[in-house]
Amino acid sequence: MTGSLVILQPGHSVVTDLGRTKGPAFGLPVNGALDQYSARAANILAGNEDNDPLFELTALDFRMRATTDLLIAVTGAPLDLMVGGRECPQWEPVSVRAGEVVAVRGIRTGLRAYIAVHGSFTVPSLLGSCAPDTVVGFGLKLVEGFRLETRKTTAPITQPHFGLPLFRLGITKPVFTTNPVIDVTDGPDVTEFGDTAELLFTTQYTVSPRSNHIGLRLGGALPERQLTSEVLSRGVPVGAIEVPSRDELLVLHRGRGVTAGYPVLAVVTSRSLDLLAQARPGHTVTFRKTTVAEATAMHRTACLELDRLRNTINTVFGLLGIGAGQRWYELSPASGA
Amino acid sequence: MATTTTTSQTTLDIYESGDAALRVVARSGDAETNWATVHSLAGWLAAAGVEGIHGAVPTYDSVLVEFDPYLTSARQVRAFVLLGMRQLDYVGTAPREPRRFEVPVVYGGDYGPDLGRVAEHQGLDVEDVIARHTAKTYVIRCLGAPAGSPMMDGPDFPVPVPRLKDPRLSVPAGAVSVAGRQAVIAPAVAPGGWCVIGQTPLTVLDATREPLVPYVPGDELRFYRIPADDFGNFAGQFLEARP
Repeated sequence: MTGSLVILQPGHSVVTDLGRTKGPAFGLPVNGALDQYSARAANILAGNEDNDPLFELTALDFRMRATTDLLIAVTGAPLDLMVGGRECPQWEPVSVRAGEVVAVRGIRTGLRAYIAVHGSFTVPSLLGSCAPDTVVGFGLKLVEGFRLETRKTTAPITQPHFGLPLFRLGITKPVFTTNPVIDVTDGPDVTEFGDTAELLFTTQYTVSPRSNHIGLRLGGALPERQLTSEVLSRGVPVGAIEVPSRDELLVLHRGRGVTAGYPVLAVVTSRSLDLLAQARPGHTVTFRKTTVAEATAMHRTACLELDRLRNTINTVFGLLGIGAGQRWYELSPASGA
Repeated sequence: MATTTTTSQTTLDIYESGDAALRVVARSGDAETNWATVHSLAGWLAAAGVEGIHGAVPTYDSVLVEFDPYLTSARQVRAFVLLGMRQLDYVGTAPREPRRFEVPVVYGGDYGPDLGRVAEHQGLDVEDVIARHTAKTYVIRCLGAPAGSPMMDGPDFPVPVPRLKDPRLSVPAGAVSVAGRQAVIAPAVAPGGWCVIGQTPLTVLDATREPLVPYVPGDELRFYRIPADDFGNFAGQFLEARP
């Protein structure tokens, strides 16, 4: 059975997924959820596939009404989550009864939150992804009164007398802070900056209000390229740190144009890109040097954390009969039985 | 940092570019060979369709290979790139017949606000700039930002064209621009620091079909001049290869 919901107060919210990984080969940025860990965790907690479409909320309050029973999960930056007037936990599955309002208020410390709805949504896709691309003009920005169908619905699962939250899965939440330490590896062009490259690690940078999903602009002491030769346009990775002007450092995020002619000083690790996705204007950022091997290990540790969460959810949801997981009495008998 | 490998055809430098990408640079000493090398390598990687390798972004002498560091690693992708190079060395690349595109352009005025400035900087008159821009058959070298722009080697100008000191916040779709020794058409509205010398009335990017843009690297393109009065006659027409 399908479910549905209506957007009451969109704030600044879009439907997205983990990104258009096929895009860069066609000149399109990868885009997708800027805080990938939070987005994947939300989908897992809602019993979805990691890459299913979900809501990304940026900074502003958000409200929606469930028109059928739903199961949701809210992750990302700390916030106040109210469902039908009850305070509900973030980073846990939450049952919503038909007619109840889900309200997200006061996104703080970080910038972005994610709402996954069990069953996810069928939305238009481009090169295999529903992630908005502002340049091409593709994607679903949520507006007041917009109605979305979910592919599944779920009967409410709550403690019947007190409405207490049923799920206490105790996932390890990422730490959110106003002065994150960002891990970077040396960029392919680091030598072009000579000794000034070290400034990146001795300076505290301030996030500028001119930052967005394309890139963060950071104020502070700037490394300077020691060469003047022209650079041919090249593919630049997400996380590339460039010094395009004398005013600010530019850290490219998932909305970045795929090619550029600026030398790449350093590259932010996959894990730290999630932290940068949560950096607000005014937050201070410090960079720390690491190696590709260590960065890969960090990323895999985070992925294993999510794998463990997925196992837990599959077990719990399976027993409760939610989603794809089978109930114990639906399991096929062992051969020979 | 960089590791250098030489096969029978060319020398490759492979640079770490974070935990999810490698930059592979061809260093043969010849720009055409480098371009052909990185594009055939990108094609080979795309055709291989290996799980964990998202794709490749080839430009002039380099290709950025992006991957998922959970499913694979920089070391494995590097080994795979070298395997691809050796195989391409062995079997060669089948040359693809280029398709040809013809692009109508209104030069100057509101359509090309930087035409006069480019002419002045080149020490040419405006007509000469237009003549040189329409004289050449361009090879689309790569798809760039924004939105799969066709990046081409520029017209035969005396000197490189400097970029605008203050990039525009919004350049219209269809803008025909030059910068440095390069030329391009803007498929979509985007900020830009290149000098806009004209605009085509054709729609380059069609978000309702895949791929979004009709050309691929290696295709050829020519510009021809139309009067401003004809701009509206092309309304709703898409850029399409000549039959």
